[in-house]
Amino acid sequence: MVRYGVSKQVEIKVLERDDRNIRLLIRDVDIPFMNALRRTVTSEVPSMAVDDIVVLENSSVLQDEIIAHRLGLVPLKTDLKSYNLPEECSCKSEFGCNLCRVTLTLDAEAKEGTRTVYSGDLVSENPEIVPVSDKIPLIKLAKEQKLRLEAYVRLGKGKNHAKWQPVSMCAYKYFPRMTIASKRCDACGKCAEICPKRVLAKSENKIVVRDLMACTLCQDCVNACPQNPPAIEVGGEENAFIFSLDSTGALPPEKILTEAVKILDEQLKELESQIKVKKSEES
Amino acid sequence: MIIPVRCFTCGKLIGDQWEEFARRVKAGENAGEVLDGLGIKRYCCRRMLLSHVELIDEVLRFYEEAEKRKEARHYY
Repeated sequence: MVRYGVSKQVEIKVLERDDRNIRLLIRDVDIPFMNALRRTVTSEVPSMAVDDIVVLENSSVLQDEIIAHRLGLVPLKTDLKSYNLPEECSCKSEFGCNLCRVTLTLDAEAKEGTRTVYSGDLVSENPEIVPVSDKIPLIKLAKEQKLRLEAYVRLGKGKNHAKWQPVSMCAYKYFPRMTIASKRCDACGKCAEICPKRVLAKSENKIVVRDLMACTLCQDCVNACPQNPPAIEVGGEENAFIFSLDSTGALPPEKILTEAVKILDEQLKELESQIKVKKSEES
Repeated sequence: MIIPVRCFTCGKLIGDQWEEFARRVKAGENAGEVLDGLGIKRYCCRRMLLSHVELIDEVLRFYEEAEKRKEARHYY
């Protein structure tokens, strides 16, 4: 059990998880906390991406800038332990050192006919820092076209550029709550018919909730109900949220979350110390 | 021109799925089912693959033809 500020017990249940995505049910937290967590995940958790490239030779049909942009968006497996953020690195150099920079090289030539150059053709200085997928097409070369370049990878944060975001999707929604007034409901089935997510189903002469988690709180079922007042009520549960996160593959999803909580914690401590300084100045 | 690396809207990696998608759809499979099979759920990512035209192949044809002409000149 994790405790936060106000003495509340936060309950976390994993609804779904695989190597890229995670879906959690979080109870007993408030909206500001959920939003802070979401914003920390998207803008503060560092991940690795190509930042600078040096093009040595490019006789392909795409311009250097387009190739640079494509390389920047290639998600890379990130090692947060062995690398520093360039602005916090002890080297203090603009160019970076071994602790804050990784070099990728690409040397591709189409010798026999047209070929596709994939992200797997990038040769990394560190075998741990490689593209998430080897099959991303970077460029296509016709016969005798060449592409040679060096790409410099560094850690960065999502607030500076979206390529450094460790997630492709990070969102939360209210945990849905549905109440069907069984006395007034005549099981006409209109609500089950109109629901875009097929949350409701008609079984015999009753309306049953089939898949509550899928509900988007669109209220279509409430509007479709012929009873006045409607026999069905849909709303969000207080202080319960479904938090879903899709990693780009740079970091495992649970690592992103723990990292986000750690960063949020540090920022709050910083805020607290700033307030203390301000208070002591005033008194 | 060439398949984008990521979805424009959400940033999900989709570039690596393109070749399989294109091959299977060309073989006659239903595009929606292929997308479901590849695990592309959101409609922003689905349109990236569905609406993509690989124009770079058309551009490269000019270079391929030029290369063929060059070889033919060598031959005579």
